[in-house]
Amino acid sequence: MGKTQGTWRDERLGLTMIAASLAVIGLIVFLLFQYQHDTRQERLREQAISLTRVLAEIPFNQLVPQQGQKNILQALYLSHDQGNFAYATVHNVTGRTAVEVTAPGVIVPAAIPTTGVAWINEREISLASGRNVLEVHAPLFTNGEVAGVVTLGFFQPGFGLSYAQLPFFATLALVIFLLTPISYFAMRREIRPLRAATEQMGAILEEAPGAELRPSGELSDFMGRFSEFVGRTQQRIVELEQDHSTMLTSTKLISYRKSRIESVLESLPEALLVLDETGTISFANTRIASLFGVEPEELQGSGDLSWCPDANVCEFLSRCARRGPGGYVANAVQFSLDSVQGKTFSVSAYPLFSPSEAGKTLGTLVVFRDVTVEAMARQSRGEFVAHVAHELKTPLNVLGMYSEALLENGGSDETQRIECVNVIHDEVERLAGLVRNLLNITQIEMGSLQPVSTRSRVHELLADLFRQIQDGHDRDDLKFELDLPREISAMNLDKDLVRVALTNLLTNAIKYNKTGGTVRMSAEETDNALTISVSDDGIGISEADQSRIFDKFYRSEDDQVRERSGHGLGLSLARDIIHLHGGEITVKSDAGSGSEFVITLWKEVVRKVS
Amino acid sequence: MSRILLVDDEPMILRIMRVTLEDRGFQIKIAHNGLQALELVGDFEPHAVVTDIDMPKMNGRELCQKLRERYSAEDLPLFVVTSKTAVEHRAWSEQLENLHFLEKPVSLRKLCTRLEMVLQEGRLAQECTT
Repeated sequence: MGKTQGTWRDERLGLTMIAASLAVIGLIVFLLFQYQHDTRQERLREQAISLTRVLAEIPFNQLVPQQGQKNILQALYLSHDQGNFAYATVHNVTGRTAVEVTAPGVIVPAAIPTTGVAWINEREISLASGRNVLEVHAPLFTNGEVAGVVTLGFFQPGFGLSYAQLPFFATLALVIFLLTPISYFAMRREIRPLRAATEQMGAILEEAPGAELRPSGELSDFMGRFSEFVGRTQQRIVELEQDHSTMLTSTKLISYRKSRIESVLESLPEALLVLDETGTISFANTRIASLFGVEPEELQGSGDLSWCPDANVCEFLSRCARRGPGGYVANAVQFSLDSVQGKTFSVSAYPLFSPSEAGKTLGTLVVFRDVTVEAMARQSRGEFVAHVAHELKTPLNVLGMYSEALLENGGSDETQRIECVNVIHDEVERLAGLVRNLLNITQIEMGSLQPVSTRSRVHELLADLFRQIQDGHDRDDLKFELDLPREISAMNLDKDLVRVALTNLLTNAIKYNKTGGTVRMSAEETDNALTISVSDDGIGISEADQSRIFDKFYRSEDDQVRERSGHGLGLSLARDIIHLHGGEITVKSDAGSGSEFVITLWKEVVRKVS
Repeated sequence: MSRILLVDDEPMILRIMRVTLEDRGFQIKIAHNGLQALELVGDFEPHAVVTDIDMPKMNGRELCQKLRERYSAEDLPLFVVTSKTAVEHRAWSEQLENLHFLEKPVSLRKLCTRLEMVLQEGRLAQECTT
């Protein structure tokens, strides 16, 4: 089927040429017939008119034969080519037929009236047989008077080929018909290279291996050039495909790098904006949404700052945008947002320098950072320094006044001198304790003081410490009770630090105890933990104070507390030390009825900390 | 004899200041916080008040503001003992006249001298007006 279609397609030129040649032959034959018909018709007319004119000059009497005379019209009929002759008639003025000669089978139509005939006239009429007749008639005269009308009718020549013309037309058709295949084969020969080239181009289009244009035949020059053109086009196509492939790879690489950079920017904890050279936002990461409640897509490509809730930040961003290329605002601005309570943020800007062109900037990076911790740390540091200064200046003030009093009086008053010396001594001790506690707390908070745990006999540690405190105190009115189990398991502890914590608790128990009160220390061991309790019968701690009693520098405003010297660091340090061991410290107290501090050290945690 | 009200939550400070000022001829009353001072000031009618800043119940700043509401600057000079600098208290102290800051550590001799000087100036000013 395909082969058949291909053959038909291949031979369509030949078929077209045959059809065209047949059409040409038909057209030529038609035109010749038309010409021949027209010529014959004209000749017939001329002949009819000539004959009629001749007959019209013959007197009527002569045309109408007398008895024994020959009929002129009969003679005319017999002498004429009978193929076209239809009829000839002579009518007198009354319309009666005087003479009538007809071809076989012809019925003469009605004659025209004699009165209407002036000279020769003609008309075309159709006979009952269907044939067309050219009728010419002319008046006849006798002695100058119209005596009748002579009428000649000739059949109109029809289309058709006469036998004599047949060889001519056959020869003409043969010549034309023979020229057609000759022309066809000549043309085929000429277009063969084109066909070959067509097939080769088809193979190239179908990407057949080894397909190429091979010039041949008389069109070799053209095909050679065309082949070269195709070759260069193919080479260019290959180059373009390579360029396209390279570009595709570059695009993918750029896309990957862009995605990677965006991923990095998204993973940063800060909210970011990238302003281009014109100050328009070209990128915003998703943290912007959580900070300002606006989607990054809404910001990109916009210079509008209506989303910005803080006037200072708006002004900062406006300055960044106004400065344009290379511009940035050096000083960061701190701000807080109503939507994010208790947080402090800072916004800062950095120029984005071009990696390829020194000094050229591609825009500005705006970073929104949560600086709550830094702000709190700064505030905390400031408060800490203020507290330390206050706590240092207070004993210094006492020292200064009492030493000045000593200098002024020169020790003349013995009682006052002894008091001054004792106060100075106590204040120096207090100052030393303050500095020691400050150092310990600072080191613990900085992480530079790590517990150095050793396997410690807790029973001995507690008993020794209690005895030491009992022996060293200056209140004779107090009673001391130590209640320890017979045996306590050894634990990994930093003995020095635990001694500091317990000393602070016991010192407080002495300092804030009522007259005649008792200072107690007890311990209890379970499978999981060791609890150490330090209690007193002192002034107690109000419920409000209990929540803040472990804060640094916190001292109750109770007069009974303020009467006793202190700097508000002892309990804070004790808590830090116990936490350092993974333990807990709690307080149970009612105002006026003593306090109990309970330390819980978890054996497992202590082991891990060790 | 000038009457001085000493206000401080540190008993040792109060004791040495009291002894020193009484030796210089001042009549002394002591209070341990601002509230106590306000209770005493009506009966004692001091010529000057020397107060600490950081105290329980009522601090020195509040005490000064309340005293200045009751007494004019000419009638009652105020001396504030602080561990900070006078600049740090400027925000609240600017409105209060005849207020004098004494930075810790306070020299007893200087305290006496400034008390005597301010009280002397006050007396002179009062004499001039009368």
